[in-house]
Amino acid sequence: MSTTTHPFAPEEVMAFVDGELSADRAQSVSAHIDQCTECSEVAAEFRSTSHSLSNWRIAAVPTQLEERVTAASQKTPLRSVAVGSNGFLPIGRWVWKHWVLALGASAVALTVLFAIATPNLLRSRMAANEASAIGRARAIDTARSMSVDNARTDSSKVRGLDALTPAPSAGVRPAEAMLSQPMIARTVSLSIVVKDFDASRASLDAILARHNGYAAGLNVATPQGAARMLQASLRIPAPQLVAAVAELKALGRVENETQGGEEVTQQHADLVARLKNSRETEQRLQDVLRTRTGKVKDVLEVEQEIARVRGEIEQMESEQQTLEHRVDFAAIDLKLAEEYKAQLTTPAPSVAMQLRNASVDGFRSAFQSLLALVLFLAESAPTLLLWLMILAFPAWLLWRRYRRSLAMGLSL
Amino acid sequence: MQDALPALVLNSEALPRHAMDETPTSQSNPAGPRASVGADVSDELLMLAFSKGSSDAFTELFARYKQPIFGFFRRRVPEPTQAEELTQETFFALLRAATRYEPRALFRTYLYAIGFKILRAQRRKAAFRATFFGQRNSVPDPARQDATESGLWVRRAVEKLEPMDREILLLREFEQLSYAEIADLLQLPLNTVRSRLFRARTALRTLLEPPFAPSTKDAAPNTVQKGERA
Repeated sequence: MSTTTHPFAPEEVMAFVDGELSADRAQSVSAHIDQCTECSEVAAEFRSTSHSLSNWRIAAVPTQLEERVTAASQKTPLRSVAVGSNGFLPIGRWVWKHWVLALGASAVALTVLFAIATPNLLRSRMAANEASAIGRARAIDTARSMSVDNARTDSSKVRGLDALTPAPSAGVRPAEAMLSQPMIARTVSLSIVVKDFDASRASLDAILARHNGYAAGLNVATPQGAARMLQASLRIPAPQLVAAVAELKALGRVENETQGGEEVTQQHADLVARLKNSRETEQRLQDVLRTRTGKVKDVLEVEQEIARVRGEIEQMESEQQTLEHRVDFAAIDLKLAEEYKAQLTTPAPSVAMQLRNASVDGFRSAFQSLLALVLFLAESAPTLLLWLMILAFPAWLLWRRYRRSLAMGLSL
Repeated sequence: MQDALPALVLNSEALPRHAMDETPTSQSNPAGPRASVGADVSDELLMLAFSKGSSDAFTELFARYKQPIFGFFRRRVPEPTQAEELTQETFFALLRAATRYEPRALFRTYLYAIGFKILRAQRRKAAFRATFFGQRNSVPDPARQDATESGLWVRRAVEKLEPMDREILLLREFEQLSYAEIADLLQLPLNTVRSRLFRARTALRTLLEPPFAPSTKDAAPNTVQKGERA
């Protein structure tokens, strides 16, 4: 038995037979094989093994397969051309992935478009509302100034349900005017949110001055760190109520609006009649006192009666004035609230401070999440362990079976 | 399936080796009305032409590779009909993926990569079904083999090899992929492919020897070390 030294391993001889060696290396191995019978035999054995494998022949491809594939290829001959023409796949050739992508992109585009367009639409709508309200108010103002002022010169008691109701013409007596129109005491309650509180306050004063109104009460609250509030009880001449309300609404966003009207025609008529009677009574008593003579006691009684009637008359006149004032001047309960904007009370913290705060927050967050995990494990670990013990063995069996099936699938 | 196709980048410069019976060559094309179309054109150029819309190019490619791909599957699945379906699926996938083809590797490597993906998916599905639905993979029965197929003793011997060694051996011997291409396809190091191929061939040679033939085991390459052979 002899021992021969070979410069090349059998694996290298195999790689040479397979043509996998570099040219230099292949030349060296080839030269060695030419001289070494053992290595030559090894190479021959590899070739022989490959030759043996060539005995494993496969049947020809079924003709049906050829027909099917050829038919499929005929259906899609121009696919790449269509894609390349404009860079997009025709819709007819889309698969589910393309549809999902297209729908998703459309949804995103629509969302973005909606997000951009909505504020603009709202803004333009609000602006249109404000403009129309102001325009309407100005038109009403003009109409009122032409008709109502004229009426006020002759009649100090102009009342109307509607601001656009024609005013009594000159020459009509107040009593007739009172009888021809119902007397209504109007009340309006408005709650408005404004952006610029100071400007709204100035506008409120201007509106009051423009419409000859006044503030029966006004309260402004400016709490710290909250929105400013204004509560006012306004009195506006009834004919200008609609215009004034429209202008007030234009100050901001109306949150709440309530309008009411109390008809006091009957009440006023009663009052006028009683007043007339009392005045006539007073007149008769005056006549009795002037024309009749009698005892001092009787005279004193008449004077007492005159004083009582006089008192009643004055009280009724006061009531009448109040009633007429309520009709002449509509009451507006106004609440103006400012849109609260948080103010920076302190300057922005420095970068170092922000880093420190972020670090503290991060540490706290990490600790809390760790704590949450520990708590979760403490709470759920026994249950999880129980199920793990129950399911581990079946899962392991299934896994082993799957691996075995996979290995069997690898077999021929 | 075409969505999962690999983007192979192979740098193998290995040339196709000796032609076996299924080696795709332009000379082995069957004569036909379109046999002359691209008969002397490389696979890669044909595929590029097909990706630009030439159906004749695909016909030529199909003519060249229908038998190799069918053989690829037939040697790896038990049923001929299954091999037929997988072959069809491979060419359908090629049709669908044609527009994305880039000639970065040899066409046959690209095609075998598609086939191998499809084969692996089929194996996974079969294993899943066998695991959870109790459907056993049918073990190939020699009696059910196609009468026109031959080499039963070779099949038996190859069947006894370890699965991965067998896969490497088949890819090398029948699909004639280079070591680098096999390594890329199976995600293995190049040296592992070479050593496993050596091991498979050595084992196969032993398995193919007649049982009572004069023993040559003493000279078996797997029993000797580099630098010294008895």
